[in-house]
Amino acid sequence: MKKINLTKDQIQKLALSSIGFVGLVYVYFHFFLGPLKTNRDSMLASITDLRNKVGSSERTMTNAATLEKQASAATTRYAALTTLNPEGAPIAWFPPRIKAFFGNQQIDKVTTRLEGNVPFKDADLSRWMQYNWVLDLPQADFALLGKAVAELENTEPLLSIKHINIHGLTDYPQYQQVSLNVATAMPKR
Amino acid sequence: MALHLNLLHEEIREQRLRQRDPLKIGMMVLGGLGALMFLYYMWNAYQTLEIRNRLNTTKHDWSKVEPKVTAAQKRSAELNSIISTTKVLDKMIDSRFFWAPFLEKLSRCVALNTQLTSIDGNVLEDDKGLSIIIEGVAAGREPRSAAEELRQLLLEQLGQSYRDVKVEFKTLEDLETIAKIGGANMPTARFALSVTFVPSASTAKTSPPTERTRTSSK
Repeated sequence: MKKINLTKDQIQKLALSSIGFVGLVYVYFHFFLGPLKTNRDSMLASITDLRNKVGSSERTMTNAATLEKQASAATTRYAALTTLNPEGAPIAWFPPRIKAFFGNQQIDKVTTRLEGNVPFKDADLSRWMQYNWVLDLPQADFALLGKAVAELENTEPLLSIKHINIHGLTDYPQYQQVSLNVATAMPKR
Repeated sequence: MALHLNLLHEEIREQRLRQRDPLKIGMMVLGGLGALMFLYYMWNAYQTLEIRNRLNTTKHDWSKVEPKVTAAQKRSAELNSIISTTKVLDKMIDSRFFWAPFLEKLSRCVALNTQLTSIDGNVLEDDKGLSIIIEGVAAGREPRSAAEELRQLLLEQLGQSYRDVKVEFKTLEDLETIAKIGGANMPTARFALSVTFVPSASTAKTSPPTERTRTSSK
Protein backbone atom coordinates (compact mmCIF):
# COMPACT_ATOMS: atom_id res chain seq x y z
CA MET A 1 0.00 0.00 0.00
CA LYS A 2 1.33 3.36 -1.01
CA LYS A 3 1.79 5.69 1.93
CA ILE A 4 0.41 9.19 1.38
CA ASN A 5 2.81 11.77 2.53
CA LEU A 6 1.00 14.99 3.39
CA THR A 7 2.74 18.24 3.97
CA LYS A 8 1.90 20.48 6.90
CA ASP A 9 0.05 22.83 4.59
CA GLN A 10 -2.01 19.96 3.21
CA ILE A 11 -2.88 18.70 6.67
CA GLN A 12 -4.07 22.21 7.62
CA LYS A 13 -6.18 22.40 4.49
CA LEU A 14 -7.56 18.93 5.15
CA ALA A 15 -8.50 19.94 8.69
CA LEU A 16 -10.10 23.11 7.38
CA SER A 17 -12.10 21.13 4.86
CA SER A 18 -13.27 18.72 7.56
CA ILE A 19 -14.38 21.60 9.76
CA GLY A 20 -16.20 23.11 6.80
CA PHE A 21 -17.90 19.78 6.14
CA VAL A 22 -19.04 19.38 9.70
CA GLY A 23 -20.30 22.98 9.73
CA LEU A 24 -22.17 22.44 6.50
CA VAL A 25 -23.83 19.29 7.80
CA TYR A 26 -24.78 21.04 11.05
CA VAL A 27 -26.21 24.09 9.31
CA TYR A 28 -28.05 21.92 6.83
CA PHE A 29 -29.74 19.72 9.38
CA HIS A 30 -30.25 22.31 12.09
CA PHE A 31 -31.35 25.31 10.12
CA PHE A 32 -32.80 23.86 6.94
CA LEU A 33 -33.97 20.30 7.17
CA GLY A 34 -34.90 20.35 10.90
CA PRO A 35 -37.46 23.18 10.80
CA LEU A 36 -38.88 21.78 7.59
CA LYS A 37 -39.36 18.39 9.19
CA THR A 38 -40.89 19.92 12.34
CA ASN A 39 -43.24 21.97 10.22
CA ARG A 40 -44.19 18.95 8.18
CA ASP A 41 -44.78 16.78 11.26
CA SER A 42 -46.99 19.41 12.88
CA MET A 43 -48.99 19.79 9.67
CA LEU A 44 -49.41 16.02 9.39
CA ALA A 45 -50.59 15.91 13.01
CA SER A 46 -53.05 18.72 12.29
CA ILE A 47 -54.33 16.87 9.23
CA THR A 48 -54.84 13.67 11.25
CA ASP A 49 -56.56 15.62 13.99
CA LEU A 50 -58.85 17.47 11.60
CA ARG A 51 -59.66 14.31 9.68
CA ASN A 52 -60.58 12.58 12.93
CA LYS A 53 -62.77 15.55 13.83
CA VAL A 54 -64.43 15.54 10.43
CA GLY A 55 -64.89 11.78 10.72
CA SER A 56 -66.45 12.01 14.17
CA SER A 57 -68.54 15.07 13.31
CA GLU A 58 -71.14 12.98 11.54
CA ARG A 59 -71.36 10.67 14.54
CA THR A 60 -71.66 13.67 16.86
CA MET A 61 -74.49 15.16 14.83
CA THR A 62 -76.25 11.79 14.61
CA ASN A 63 -75.92 11.36 18.36
CA ALA A 64 -77.28 14.86 18.95
CA ALA A 65 -80.27 14.13 16.72
CA THR A 66 -80.90 10.83 18.51
CA LEU A 67 -80.55 12.52 21.89
CA GLU A 68 -82.98 15.22 20.78
CA LYS A 69 -85.58 12.53 20.06
CA GLN A 70 -84.88 10.64 23.27
CA ALA A 71 -84.93 13.79 25.37
CA SER A 72 -88.24 15.04 24.04
CA ALA A 73 -90.09 13.74 27.11
CA ALA A 74 -87.52 15.24 29.46
CA THR A 75 -87.54 18.62 27.69
CA THR A 76 -91.33 18.74 27.76
CA ARG A 77 -91.31 17.80 31.43
CA TYR A 78 -88.60 20.36 32.18
CA ALA A 79 -90.50 23.07 30.35
CA ALA A 80 -93.64 22.16 32.27
CA LEU A 81 -91.81 22.33 35.59
CA THR A 82 -90.17 25.61 34.68
CA THR A 83 -93.42 27.22 33.61
CA LEU A 84 -94.90 26.43 37.03
CA ASN A 85 -92.87 29.37 38.23
CA PRO A 86 -93.72 32.72 36.66
CA GLU A 87 -91.10 35.34 35.84
CA GLY A 88 -90.06 37.72 38.56
CA ALA A 89 -89.03 37.48 42.19
CA PRO A 90 -90.81 34.61 43.99
CA ILE A 91 -91.65 36.86 46.94
CA ALA A 92 -93.75 38.92 44.52
CA TRP A 93 -95.92 36.14 43.15
CA PHE A 94 -95.76 33.17 45.53
CA PRO A 95 -97.65 34.65 48.54
CA PRO A 96 -100.54 35.93 46.36
CA ARG A 97 -100.72 32.55 44.63
CA ILE A 98 -100.91 30.74 47.98
CA LYS A 99 -103.53 33.17 49.24
CA ALA A 100 -105.63 32.62 46.13
CA PHE A 101 -105.15 28.86 46.42
CA PHE A 102 -106.35 28.64 50.02
CA GLY A 103 -109.09 31.15 49.23
CA ASN A 104 -110.37 28.70 46.63
CA GLN A 105 -110.26 26.02 49.33
CA GLN A 106 -112.47 28.21 51.59
CA ILE A 107 -109.60 29.08 53.90
CA ASP A 108 -109.43 32.82 53.71
CA LYS A 109 -106.87 33.76 56.31
CA VAL A 110 -103.40 32.92 55.09
CA THR A 111 -100.09 34.62 55.65
CA THR A 112 -97.04 33.59 53.66
CA ARG A 113 -93.56 34.53 54.82
CA LEU A 114 -90.27 33.85 53.10
CA GLU A 115 -87.77 32.31 55.51
CA GLY A 116 -84.89 32.23 53.09
CA ASN A 117 -83.46 30.62 50.01
CA VAL A 118 -80.53 28.29 49.62
CA PRO A 119 -78.87 26.69 46.61
CA PHE A 120 -79.27 22.95 46.15
CA LYS A 121 -76.31 20.73 46.99
CA ASP A 122 -76.89 18.63 43.89
CA ALA A 123 -74.78 19.90 40.98
CA ASP A 124 -77.56 19.04 38.54
CA LEU A 125 -79.75 21.64 40.23
CA SER A 126 -77.20 24.42 39.98
CA ARG A 127 -79.71 26.56 38.11
CA TRP A 128 -82.37 26.05 40.78
CA MET A 129 -82.87 27.44 44.27
CA GLN A 130 -84.76 26.14 47.27
CA TYR A 131 -87.08 28.71 48.81
CA ASN A 132 -88.36 28.08 52.32
CA TRP A 133 -91.69 29.56 53.28
CA VAL A 134 -93.91 29.63 56.35
CA LEU A 135 -97.64 29.51 55.69
CA ASP A 136 -99.74 30.61 58.68
CA LEU A 137 -103.39 29.69 58.69
CA PRO A 138 -104.79 31.14 61.94
CA GLN A 139 -108.30 29.72 61.47
CA ALA A 140 -108.70 26.55 59.49
CA ASP A 141 -111.25 23.78 59.63
CA PHE A 142 -109.50 20.40 59.80
CA ALA A 143 -111.47 18.79 56.97
CA LEU A 144 -110.99 21.78 54.70
CA LEU A 145 -107.34 21.88 55.67
CA GLY A 146 -106.91 18.21 54.75
CA LYS A 147 -108.51 18.79 51.35
CA ALA A 148 -106.44 21.90 50.82
CA VAL A 149 -103.21 20.13 51.74
CA ALA A 150 -104.05 17.26 49.37
CA GLU A 151 -104.81 19.70 46.58
CA LEU A 152 -101.67 21.68 47.29
CA GLU A 153 -99.49 18.58 47.23
CA ASN A 154 -101.06 17.40 43.99
CA THR A 155 -101.03 20.69 42.11
CA GLU A 156 -97.65 21.99 43.25
CA PRO A 157 -95.17 19.20 42.48
CA LEU A 158 -92.16 21.32 43.34
CA LEU A 159 -93.52 22.10 46.78
CA SER A 160 -92.99 19.88 49.79
CA ILE A 161 -94.27 20.36 53.32
CA LYS A 162 -91.39 19.95 55.74
CA HIS A 163 -93.12 20.77 58.98
CA ILE A 164 -96.73 20.93 60.02
CA ASN A 165 -98.14 22.28 63.24
CA ILE A 166 -101.86 22.14 64.10
CA HIS A 167 -103.20 23.54 67.32
CA GLY A 168 -106.77 23.55 68.54
CA LEU A 169 -108.18 27.00 69.27
CA THR A 170 -109.78 27.26 72.72
CA ASP A 171 -112.00 30.21 71.79
CA TYR A 172 -113.17 28.65 68.51
CA PRO A 173 -113.08 24.90 69.00
CA GLN A 174 -114.29 24.28 65.46
CA TYR A 175 -111.09 25.81 64.08
CA GLN A 176 -107.42 24.99 64.27
CA GLN A 177 -104.41 27.21 64.03
CA VAL A 178 -102.10 25.79 61.42
CA SER A 179 -98.54 26.54 60.47
CA LEU A 180 -96.86 24.90 57.47
CA ASN A 181 -93.18 25.10 56.63
CA VAL A 182 -92.85 24.41 52.95
CA ALA A 183 -89.90 24.24 50.57
CA THR A 184 -90.22 25.00 46.89
CA ALA A 185 -87.75 24.46 44.08
CA MET A 186 -87.61 27.42 41.74
CA PRO A 187 -85.33 28.19 38.82
CA LYS A 188 -82.85 31.01 39.28
CA ARG A 189 -83.93 34.13 37.43
CA MET B 1 16.70 1.05 -24.25
CA ALA B 2 15.94 4.63 -25.10
CA LEU B 3 17.06 7.26 -22.70
CA HIS B 4 14.15 9.19 -21.38
CA LEU B 5 14.91 12.52 -19.80
CA ASN B 6 12.31 14.41 -17.92
CA LEU B 7 13.33 17.99 -18.13
CA LEU B 8 10.01 19.31 -16.76
CA HIS B 9 9.96 17.24 -13.61
CA GLU B 10 9.65 20.23 -11.35
CA GLU B 11 6.64 21.62 -13.24
CA ILE B 12 5.00 18.20 -13.35
CA ARG B 13 5.57 17.81 -9.62
CA GLU B 14 3.94 21.17 -8.96
CA GLN B 15 1.04 20.29 -11.24
CA ARG B 16 0.54 17.02 -9.36
CA LEU B 17 0.69 18.84 -6.10
CA ARG B 18 -1.95 21.27 -7.30
CA GLN B 19 -4.11 18.39 -8.50
CA ARG B 20 -4.07 16.65 -5.16
CA ASP B 21 -4.54 19.83 -3.15
CA PRO B 22 -6.70 18.61 -0.22
CA LEU B 23 -8.48 21.94 0.06
CA LYS B 24 -9.44 21.87 -3.56
CA ILE B 25 -10.56 18.26 -3.35
CA GLY B 26 -12.41 19.04 -0.14
CA MET B 27 -14.12 22.00 -1.78
CA MET B 28 -15.17 19.84 -4.67
CA VAL B 29 -16.53 17.18 -2.35
CA LEU B 30 -18.29 19.81 -0.32
CA GLY B 31 -19.73 21.32 -3.47
CA GLY B 32 -20.99 17.93 -4.55
CA LEU B 33 -22.47 17.18 -1.19
CA GLY B 34 -23.99 20.64 -1.01
CA ALA B 35 -25.66 20.08 -4.37
CA LEU B 36 -27.03 16.75 -3.19
CA MET B 37 -28.23 18.29 0.03
CA PHE B 38 -29.86 21.15 -1.82
CA LEU B 39 -31.70 18.70 -4.06
CA TYR B 40 -32.80 16.70 -1.05
CA TYR B 41 -33.93 19.89 0.65
CA MET B 42 -35.91 20.94 -2.40
CA TRP B 43 -37.56 17.54 -2.49
CA ASN B 44 -38.51 17.88 1.13
CA ALA B 45 -39.76 21.42 0.61
CA TYR B 46 -41.91 20.20 -2.25
CA GLN B 47 -43.37 17.47 -0.07
CA THR B 48 -44.02 20.01 2.69
CA LEU B 49 -45.83 22.27 0.28
CA GLU B 50 -47.94 19.36 -0.81
CA ILE B 51 -48.78 18.58 2.81
CA ARG B 52 -49.66 22.24 3.39
CA ASN B 53 -52.08 22.06 0.48
CA ARG B 54 -53.64 18.95 1.99
CA LEU B 55 -53.89 20.70 5.32
CA ASN B 56 -55.61 23.69 3.74
CA THR B 57 -58.10 21.40 2.01
CA THR B 58 -58.81 19.58 5.28
CA LYS B 59 -59.16 22.89 7.12
CA HIS B 60 -61.63 24.04 4.53
CA ASP B 61 -63.65 20.82 4.92
CA TRP B 62 -63.60 21.19 8.71
CA SER B 63 -64.62 24.85 8.56
CA LYS B 64 -67.73 23.75 6.67
CA VAL B 65 -68.85 21.25 9.33
CA GLU B 66 -67.41 22.89 12.44
CA PRO B 67 -70.36 25.25 13.17
CA LYS B 68 -72.79 22.34 12.86
CA VAL B 69 -70.68 20.12 15.10
CA THR B 70 -70.22 22.86 17.69
CA ALA B 71 -73.95 23.54 17.70
CA ALA B 72 -74.67 19.80 18.01
CA GLN B 73 -72.22 19.44 20.91
CA LYS B 74 -73.70 22.48 22.65
CA ARG B 75 -77.21 21.14 22.17
CA SER B 76 -76.16 17.70 23.43
CA ALA B 77 -74.66 19.23 26.56
CA GLU B 78 -77.82 21.27 27.10
CA LEU B 79 -80.04 18.22 26.59
CA ASN B 80 -77.94 16.12 28.96
CA SER B 81 -78.19 18.88 31.54
CA ILE B 82 -81.98 19.02 31.09
CA ILE B 83 -82.28 15.24 31.36
CA SER B 84 -80.22 15.06 34.54
CA THR B 85 -81.99 18.06 36.09
CA THR B 86 -85.39 16.60 35.25
CA LYS B 87 -84.34 13.27 36.75
CA VAL B 88 -83.27 14.94 39.99
CA LEU B 89 -86.44 17.05 40.11
CA ASP B 90 -88.61 13.99 39.47
CA LYS B 91 -86.78 12.09 42.18
CA MET B 92 -87.35 15.02 44.52
CA ILE B 93 -91.03 15.15 43.59
CA ASP B 94 -91.48 11.40 44.05
CA SER B 95 -89.69 11.33 47.37
CA ARG B 96 -91.89 14.02 48.92
CA PHE B 97 -93.95 13.02 51.90
CA PHE B 98 -97.65 13.54 51.33
CA TRP B 99 -99.27 14.82 54.49
CA ALA B 100 -102.88 14.60 53.39
CA PRO B 101 -103.12 10.77 53.55
CA PHE B 102 -101.52 10.87 56.98
CA LEU B 103 -104.00 13.48 58.20
CA GLU B 104 -106.80 11.35 56.80
CA LYS B 105 -105.60 8.24 58.65
CA LEU B 106 -105.14 10.23 61.82
CA SER B 107 -108.64 11.64 61.64
CA ARG B 108 -110.03 8.12 61.19
CA CYS B 109 -108.25 6.89 64.31
CA VAL B 110 -109.70 9.52 66.61
CA ALA B 111 -112.73 8.15 68.43
CA LEU B 112 -115.60 10.18 69.82
CA ASN B 113 -114.21 10.11 73.34
CA THR B 114 -110.84 11.48 72.26
CA GLN B 115 -109.80 14.99 71.33
CA LEU B 116 -106.55 15.99 69.72
CA THR B 117 -105.24 19.36 70.83
CA SER B 118 -102.00 19.55 68.93
CA ILE B 119 -100.17 17.89 66.05
CA ASP B 120 -96.57 18.76 65.39
CA GLY B 121 -94.90 16.88 62.55
CA ASN B 122 -91.47 17.10 61.02
CA VAL B 123 -89.99 15.53 57.92
CA LEU B 124 -86.49 14.50 58.99
CA GLU B 125 -83.49 15.27 56.81
CA ASP B 126 -81.76 12.64 54.65
CA ASP B 127 -84.87 10.46 54.23
CA LYS B 128 -84.79 9.43 57.85
CA GLY B 129 -88.56 9.47 58.02
CA LEU B 130 -90.96 11.52 60.04
CA SER B 131 -91.33 12.48 63.66
CA ILE B 132 -94.73 13.60 64.87
CA ILE B 133 -95.92 14.59 68.34
CA ILE B 134 -99.64 14.26 68.90
CA GLU B 135 -101.18 15.71 72.02
CA GLY B 136 -104.74 15.27 73.17
CA VAL B 137 -107.26 14.39 75.85
CA ALA B 138 -109.09 11.08 76.20
CA ALA B 139 -112.27 10.60 78.20
CA GLY B 140 -114.05 7.50 79.40
CA ARG B 141 -114.53 5.28 82.38
CA GLU B 142 -110.95 4.25 81.77
CA PRO B 143 -109.45 7.32 80.04
CA ARG B 144 -105.99 5.74 79.90
CA SER B 145 -107.49 2.80 78.00
CA ALA B 146 -109.11 5.22 75.57
CA ALA B 147 -105.72 6.80 74.93
CA GLU B 148 -104.17 3.34 74.53
CA GLU B 149 -106.88 2.42 72.01
CA LEU B 150 -105.90 5.46 69.98
CA ARG B 151 -102.24 4.44 70.14
CA GLN B 152 -103.05 0.89 69.03
CA LEU B 153 -105.27 2.11 66.22
CA LEU B 154 -102.66 4.55 65.00
CA LEU B 155 -100.01 1.82 65.05
CA GLU B 156 -102.25 -0.47 63.02
CA GLN B 157 -103.42 2.14 60.53
CA LEU B 158 -100.05 3.75 59.92
CA GLY B 159 -98.39 0.34 59.67
CA GLN B 160 -100.52 -0.37 56.59
CA SER B 161 -98.89 2.48 54.66
CA TYR B 162 -95.55 3.22 56.24
CA ARG B 163 -92.47 1.33 57.40
CA ASP B 164 -90.85 1.14 60.85
CA VAL B 165 -93.86 2.67 62.55
CA LYS B 166 -93.45 3.47 66.23
CA VAL B 167 -96.21 5.02 68.32
CA GLU B 168 -95.21 5.58 71.93
CA PHE B 169 -96.58 7.53 74.83
CA LYS B 170 -94.43 10.45 75.82
CA THR B 171 -96.81 11.34 78.65
CA LEU B 172 -100.09 9.95 79.90
CA GLU B 173 -101.56 11.51 83.00
CA ASP B 174 -104.97 11.66 84.60
CA LEU B 175 -106.74 15.00 84.76
CA GLU B 176 -109.17 16.27 87.30
CA THR B 177 -111.35 17.65 84.56
CA ILE B 178 -114.59 15.76 83.91
CA ALA B 179 -115.99 15.50 80.40
CA LYS B 180 -119.67 14.91 79.59
CA ILE B 181 -120.09 12.25 76.94
CA GLY B 182 -123.54 11.00 76.03
CA GLY B 183 -124.97 12.68 79.13
CA ALA B 184 -122.57 10.90 81.47
CA ASN B 185 -119.64 12.47 83.29
CA MET B 186 -116.36 10.79 82.46
CA PRO B 187 -112.85 11.25 83.87
CA THR B 188 -110.20 12.44 81.44
CA ALA B 189 -106.53 11.84 80.79
CA ARG B 190 -104.03 13.95 78.89
CA PHE B 191 -101.64 12.17 76.56
CA ALA B 192 -98.77 12.94 74.24
CA LEU B 193 -97.85 10.42 71.57
CA SER B 194 -94.59 10.24 69.76
CA VAL B 195 -95.04 8.84 66.26
CA THR B 196 -92.12 7.96 64.01
CA PHE B 197 -92.15 6.14 60.71
CA VAL B 198 -90.48 5.95 57.32
CA PRO B 199 -92.67 6.59 54.30
CA SER B 200 -92.80 3.73 51.80
CA ALA B 201 -91.05 4.27 48.51
CA SER B 202 -94.22 4.10 46.47
CA THR B 203 -96.50 6.57 48.15
CA ALA B 204 -99.57 7.16 46.07
CA LYS B 205 -100.85 10.59 45.22
CA THR B 206 -102.67 12.26 48.02
CA SER B 207 -106.36 12.14 48.58
CA PRO B 208 -108.26 14.45 50.88
CA PRO B 209 -109.36 13.26 54.31
CA THR B 210 -112.97 12.15 54.45
CA GLU B 211 -113.61 12.31 58.13
CA ARG B 212 -112.92 15.21 60.42
CA THR B 213 -111.41 15.22 63.86
CA ARG B 214 -113.74 16.00 66.64
CA THR B 215 -112.76 19.23 68.23
CA SER B 216 -115.12 19.46 71.16
CA SER B 217 -115.85 16.58 73.39
CA LYS B 218 -115.62 18.23 76.74
